[in-house]
Amino acid sequence: MGIRKCFIYFQPTQAAYIKEEEAKNSMATPEGSFSVEDMKNVQINIGAVVKEEEEWDQPMGPFPKPQVATLRNWDYTIMNRYHIMYCPADDTCTLCTYGPCDLTGNQKGACGIDIAGTCGKIVLIAVLMGTCAHTAHGRHLYHWCLDRFGDMKFDMGDEILVDAPLTQTILGIKPKSLKDYGEALEYCEEEIVQLLAATHSGQEGWYQDFESKALHSGMIDSLGKEICDMLQTVAYDMPRGEADAPLVEIGLGTLDQNKGVLIAYGHNLAAGAEAMIYAENQNLWEKVDIGGVCCTAIDLTRITETGRDSKIPKNLGPKAKVAGAMGWWRKMVRSGVMDAVMVDEQCVYCDVLEDCQKRHIPVIATNDKIMLGLPDRTNDPADQIVEDLVSFKMPGVAILDPVKAGEVGIRTAIAVKPKRAQYKQESLLTEAQFKEYLEKCTGCNQCAFVCPPHTSISMMIAEAKKGNLEPFSSSYETCVGCARCEVTCPQEIPILALYEYANREYIKNAKFKMRAGRGPVRDTEIRKVGAPIVLGTIPGVIAIIGCSNYPKGTKECYDIAKEFVDRGYIVVATGCMAMDMSLYKDEEGKTIWEQYGGAFDGRNICNIGSCVANAHIHGAAIKVATIFAHRNHRANYDDIADYILSKVGACGVAWGAFSQKAASIATGFNRLGVPAVVQPHSVIYRRTFMGRADKPEDWQVIDARDGSMQQIEPAPEAMLYIAETKEEAMLEMAKLCFRPSDNAMGRGIKLTHYCDISMKYFGKLPDDWHIFVRDVKDLPLAYQADMMKELEEKHGWKIDWKAKKFISGPLRPADVSFDPTNIPRKIRAKK
Amino acid sequence: MAAEVKKGVDTTKNPIPFDLAQYPGPEMAKTYMPKVIAAIIKKAKRPLLVVGAELFDDPIMFDKAIEIGKTGIPIAATAHSVKGFVERGYLDNVYQIGLHPLTSYMRFDDWQGLDGKGPYDVVIYMGIFYKFANGMFSTLKHFKRDIKRVSIDRYYHINANMTFGNMAFDPDDYHAAVEEIIAALKK
Repeated sequence: MGIRKCFIYFQPTQAAYIKEEEAKNSMATPEGSFSVEDMKNVQINIGAVVKEEEEWDQPMGPFPKPQVATLRNWDYTIMNRYHIMYCPADDTCTLCTYGPCDLTGNQKGACGIDIAGTCGKIVLIAVLMGTCAHTAHGRHLYHWCLDRFGDMKFDMGDEILVDAPLTQTILGIKPKSLKDYGEALEYCEEEIVQLLAATHSGQEGWYQDFESKALHSGMIDSLGKEICDMLQTVAYDMPRGEADAPLVEIGLGTLDQNKGVLIAYGHNLAAGAEAMIYAENQNLWEKVDIGGVCCTAIDLTRITETGRDSKIPKNLGPKAKVAGAMGWWRKMVRSGVMDAVMVDEQCVYCDVLEDCQKRHIPVIATNDKIMLGLPDRTNDPADQIVEDLVSFKMPGVAILDPVKAGEVGIRTAIAVKPKRAQYKQESLLTEAQFKEYLEKCTGCNQCAFVCPPHTSISMMIAEAKKGNLEPFSSSYETCVGCARCEVTCPQEIPILALYEYANREYIKNAKFKMRAGRGPVRDTEIRKVGAPIVLGTIPGVIAIIGCSNYPKGTKECYDIAKEFVDRGYIVVATGCMAMDMSLYKDEEGKTIWEQYGGAFDGRNICNIGSCVANAHIHGAAIKVATIFAHRNHRANYDDIADYILSKVGACGVAWGAFSQKAASIATGFNRLGVPAVVQPHSVIYRRTFMGRADKPEDWQVIDARDGSMQQIEPAPEAMLYIAETKEEAMLEMAKLCFRPSDNAMGRGIKLTHYCDISMKYFGKLPDDWHIFVRDVKDLPLAYQADMMKELEEKHGWKIDWKAKKFISGPLRPADVSFDPTNIPRKIRAKK
Repeated sequence: MAAEVKKGVDTTKNPIPFDLAQYPGPEMAKTYMPKVIAAIIKKAKRPLLVVGAELFDDPIMFDKAIEIGKTGIPIAATAHSVKGFVERGYLDNVYQIGLHPLTSYMRFDDWQGLDGKGPYDVVIYMGIFYKFANGMFSTLKHFKRDIKRVSIDRYYHINANMTFGNMAFDPDDYHAAVEEIIAALKK
């Protein structure tokens, strides 16, 4: 794959842009003028206000509403340092009728595209899928919230003034009410259409430009997420960054089996919230429990924690429970705990209806993105729908009105419970059935071939035959719930049901606490931690995000979080990983949320919220630039991303990443200058961004003070890194928190953790620690003497031992006022 | 039943990817007998043994890796597998590096290797999580075709040039096959 470097950096002056903006506005003003003379029966609709008094002390930045190619130079800056690496999952292309074309070895197909281009196209499509999912979620919430609650003031509270950092950075606008997000959605939708058009045959063909577009899509994805979470935060009065957001119940064991159990599964809280409101208004909580699965679970438990001026009943959130993360779905549905299921959108298994129908669990599809072949009963009376579901006349219905869906869900769960008692009993394996299935196993190991972590299920069955269920118990959390073992088993053994039987006691007692999603990071928190993050004295921000396809089990979420929070990093978590890390307790019986505070601070762990709340992690990084460093962020995306890349020691980890949304989330982080580590299954995503530490020319930056070029250490070394094990992931995450701006104390702290983790899990110091050393003061005290000796003997550094100084050796000296940038327009005075 | 080393293990059976659906395209790996694979490794000017964390699941494989290392073939210890070498006191020609960055470096013509002495011509994977190794082999298959991709893992690696058939559930045969390679390398 050839690599074309892009050397041109377009440098518009801010003044030119401001002038252009003013010109646009002055031209626009007359369009809003009209006179009414002798007009009858005329309706006048007022659309968007074209211009109004600005209440923002920042001038419009250079790139408001960037289009597909506007930030292309920034993308090439990233890609010139972090080389695109593809691992094709498929050697052929079958996207047009010329195909299949064999592209092995980067040969061209009939249309002229090569394997790199094809991979780039698939990556872009995957990232667009994720972006569309989040943006469409936002569009649905936008219409729903306005319909249900009317327009509401966009108010994030006194401690958050930079209240929509992505919207401000990308669009250059400040929404004042929910309705204002319409403009942001229109922007997202236009960009998505343009990007998707580029994937058609005969359009884009160059892999780096596919990736530039994927980065653009990732940025749009981050904006789509922010829109979603801001809309629901305001409409449902969710926490605005409270560190002490309430602890909510999580685990199947928390769902009261004496009540009807309604499960809300997916990502869009609309129908689930209406079910909660219905239960509250009708005083039905004594008869029903609501449990969430996947991100809907997190968002339902975020409702009305703060008692602000809200249009829905107060303190509803903790009345719902979190059943579990997405990866537990098939295991949960087999447990017999659920009585009715409402699905909304995203990450819902396609066979949800089949799984439920087998167990006489009525299904209500509540969003037009997932209708499962069910009849649309939106306009039918609720009584009639409930009757049809409770009598099992139909296995499920689609109801696209969240209010009606909520009512039907609650009434069905309560009414169907006694009626399905017999079926529930029948759906659970008896001891005799369990043993019968064990006997059917021939040990062919077909299951291990298709199991993502390649669990030796035959061995577990062999042990169970001897009466030892321990392997079934210890691997329960390793199972990702894909059910491919069941599909492939020639003996048709219901393997997940075997798991359920062997873990019945665990399921019954699965009762844990999770901190409710707290939403955005507050400006006041950033003021406290901004300097320590940039100087490195807080060693980094670790963002633990994403889905449940773990290579070696759920516990690794907890292990990773615990490692970094104990070391004083700021740890933030979202989505399924936040839920899964809640399933473990320390010796005192405390979950991780009970062990540590929930502030955005060192040695704290925040549950930021659901997938869409990942936008607040972007937001926190932007706020470091704008609040701590006083950078103008308005319509100034590349400048902010450049700052983050050079100065904000943050690293994401998606240890169970499975979906296209995970791809778009990671790509959005990457465009903003935040590296990420992913699990080994992530090779299926095909594309990563990897730096070359051996090429000094890749690590040249501009010193913004005078425009001179400076050599820096490879920090951060990669932008998207695949780790084979959690140990490797943790070491890499510590390394990816290094930034050129670290001061000596900060670099020392970061090096200490990097070396400590290596000693703990690798039994030795990493081979490359020396390249991050600029000064003796950078060296971790615990290893200082040995390291200095090694620098002299192994790496040939010259050391003044008396003065304890390096005479030669380091790539560059430590310089606290060094101001690294990759953007020429940031040069303050030309040398 | 363990096959006897003298007779040789048939490693050409079961050319089935360990991820059943992993059939990437027209070019698929061939299975070879250990002595053929050993001959290719022996002929290599710049071979590199790449081992992963699955060695911890079958620790005897660390000893076998060390035996290969002692024949002069450098070892890239990926993931946290270097710990197994530290515990056995063997670090002579062992380099700690992730499989992902290692593969990334290998695709560049101007990369000079872990020892700075030049690019590798044969890479031999062993003890690496299947899907991950498969993906990294794919990178080399498409973007660095002058490196020969050899697997002596217990899986059929469809994106390699040379591989064993699937032996994931025949540990004795697998051990014997690797022993055969070691014996041939020592000759």
